[in-house]
Amino acid sequence: MNFDFFRVLSYWDVLLNGLGITLLFTVSAVIIGTLLGFIISLMRVSPFRVLKWPARLYVEFFRGTPMLIQLFWIFFCLPLVIGRDIPPYVSVLLAMVLFMAAITSETFRGSLKSISGEQHDACVALGLNFRVKAINVIFPQALLRSIPPLMSNNVALFKESALISSVGIADLMFVSSNISSSTARPVEFLTAAAIIYFVVAFPATRLVDLVEKRLLLRFT
Amino acid sequence: MNMVDNINKQQEEETAKYQGAEDNSPLIEFKGVTKRFGDTCVMDEMDLKMKAGDRLVIIGPSGSGKSTLLRVLMGLEKIDKGEIFFGSNPYITVDRKGRTRTDMSVRSKIGMVFQHYTLFPHLSVMSNLTLSPVKVRGMARSEAEDRAREYLARLGMEDKLYSYPGKLSGGQKQRVAIARALMLEPKLMLFDEVTSALDPEMVAEIEKVMLDLAKQKMAMMIVTHDMYFAKKIATESVFIAGGKVIEKCDPEIMFNEPKQERTRDFLDKVLHLK
Amino acid sequence: MNYTFDFSVLVGNFGPLIEGLQTTLLLALGANVLGLTVGFVVCLLAMAPFWILRLPAKMFIEFFRCTPVLIQIVWFFYCVPILFNVFLDPITMGIMALGLNLIAFNAEAYRAGIQAVPKEHHDACVALGLGAWHKTVYVIFPQALRNAIPVLMTNGITILQQSALVAIVAVADLMYAGKMLATNTYRPLEVFTAVALIYFFMSLPISQVVTFLERRQDASVER
Repeated sequence: MNFDFFRVLSYWDVLLNGLGITLLFTVSAVIIGTLLGFIISLMRVSPFRVLKWPARLYVEFFRGTPMLIQLFWIFFCLPLVIGRDIPPYVSVLLAMVLFMAAITSETFRGSLKSISGEQHDACVALGLNFRVKAINVIFPQALLRSIPPLMSNNVALFKESALISSVGIADLMFVSSNISSSTARPVEFLTAAAIIYFVVAFPATRLVDLVEKRLLLRFT
Repeated sequence: MNMVDNINKQQEEETAKYQGAEDNSPLIEFKGVTKRFGDTCVMDEMDLKMKAGDRLVIIGPSGSGKSTLLRVLMGLEKIDKGEIFFGSNPYITVDRKGRTRTDMSVRSKIGMVFQHYTLFPHLSVMSNLTLSPVKVRGMARSEAEDRAREYLARLGMEDKLYSYPGKLSGGQKQRVAIARALMLEPKLMLFDEVTSALDPEMVAEIEKVMLDLAKQKMAMMIVTHDMYFAKKIATESVFIAGGKVIEKCDPEIMFNEPKQERTRDFLDKVLHLK
Repeated sequence: MNYTFDFSVLVGNFGPLIEGLQTTLLLALGANVLGLTVGFVVCLLAMAPFWILRLPAKMFIEFFRCTPVLIQIVWFFYCVPILFNVFLDPITMGIMALGLNLIAFNAEAYRAGIQAVPKEHHDACVALGLGAWHKTVYVIFPQALRNAIPVLMTNGITILQQSALVAIVAVADLMYAGKMLATNTYRPLEVFTAVALIYFFMSLPISQVVTFLERRQDASVER
């Protein structure tokens, strides 16, 4: 058994391109998905059933099924439902956005609920109206508390994004498994890809811990 | 029998200083107010009057409905029956469908300070004070900031203007909370066990702030476990148990020779003098 | 939308879906057994006072938590046979690949559970003269386990969902059976919808239990 990890170097640019695609999809889905997730969380804490129930059903469904089937459904079935073709990158992005929105809405909902009843009491005692209470008191606190779990969600999405290779998007996962089969050297290339994923995700998780400690120090 | 004789002597002079409320017009009146939490009745057809010049101290065993009384008055809890007047105007009433109606213009004349400070942790001391005057009352920011400086200076906190609540001690937080309530220039201040969460060495600084307010003739309703302080600051005292007013009288009488057996029992227990 | 649904394609083809479902359940169950047991051991190693135990355990945890499950599975299926010259049946391979991932996540869940036990309880054990062994077994672990249960269950559901990824390396699980059926019948809409619903209704009861447990724990903390 002999390995030739130097072979990896000659494909370095291809792998980095793959990482670029991975990051492009991840960042786009993070931005759109987080905004959508915030709206969904507001629907879920609203007192109106017509908003609450569809939001709840959506979140439960996307958290209760594998992302792979979500991706396949949007990729293969959605065009049939709407009766027109969808470009692959759109359906992939849509799948990632919907997954991200489902998990971030839970994060936001958790932090909104974690604001203590006493804070709400203080708002009444100070005569704050609903708008001032929401914008100046509740949202800022909830958003601050959401920062660390939101960052974890971003890392989770980054890892989940490897799935888009299964519908032919040339991300890091896709190019590394392609090169492994064409060169018949899976050990070298798959290991290299795993290390690249790790090198991005690991510092991000450390950063989450750091930010969490900072926030705890300042606001409790 | 004179239960708190020794404390009396020590505090007699001080107390006299804070007496002398003269405004005898009615400020607050509870008429047959009932409040239930599920099956438990925390306020049972309660009647209670308070004059504009009063500093009313509410004492009673835990679970007797003292805090609920203040929370109802602040509009934090709904009521099931009865009505509450502010001056001669109806303030909180119950409509035919059983819904609680609150006159918001009256509510804005009442301020409240809580046991756990309830400062907004993401805002500086200054922003905590100016938020409501600027955003709700429409006061100019510069005016609100000037006033905030003045109040904080009066409470000895002028150097903490731009600190965040997380950096303050319990006593400092509670002083900021009091200043925050005063910013709205209330006609009545409610104090709900404001020293209970404090370390003993910080209790005195808050009590001093409250006594200073008393000198300025601020009407207050105070729920406290500190009987010595209660006696010192009160112009009127009320003992509540089981959601009812058991005894309401001058603090001199309440703490020396209460008329009611239950009041006496309670004071015996909390003052450990039996 | 002018698509006519034809769910009748499912009726005659339940066989492969059921077989796939059995494989999926087997994968999830096996991975959970590994995750719950070995995960605890790895957690203890990661908290050991000796760096020689602690370091490898921590590296294992971080590596599996910071890389995609898909690459872990693909790596396991392609590289293990080459590296170690072992050839096992696909289901065993699948259980091991998913199990390794769950071990890392559960070790972290156990650790968080142990750290959530208040420091005062450690002090109380000293005050009561409890030795390290008694303290750990009677005071710390029971509480830590109770803290960790909701997360362990959530991780359990997650691995059930992640098990769908073995379809990519051609293990005949529910996802794989669905993919084959969708291709053979040209009816992806009906098949994938049915498969999604099966996954959903498998995780729903467990996620409801988790919600219930979390509410109860929140309530008991408030008191």
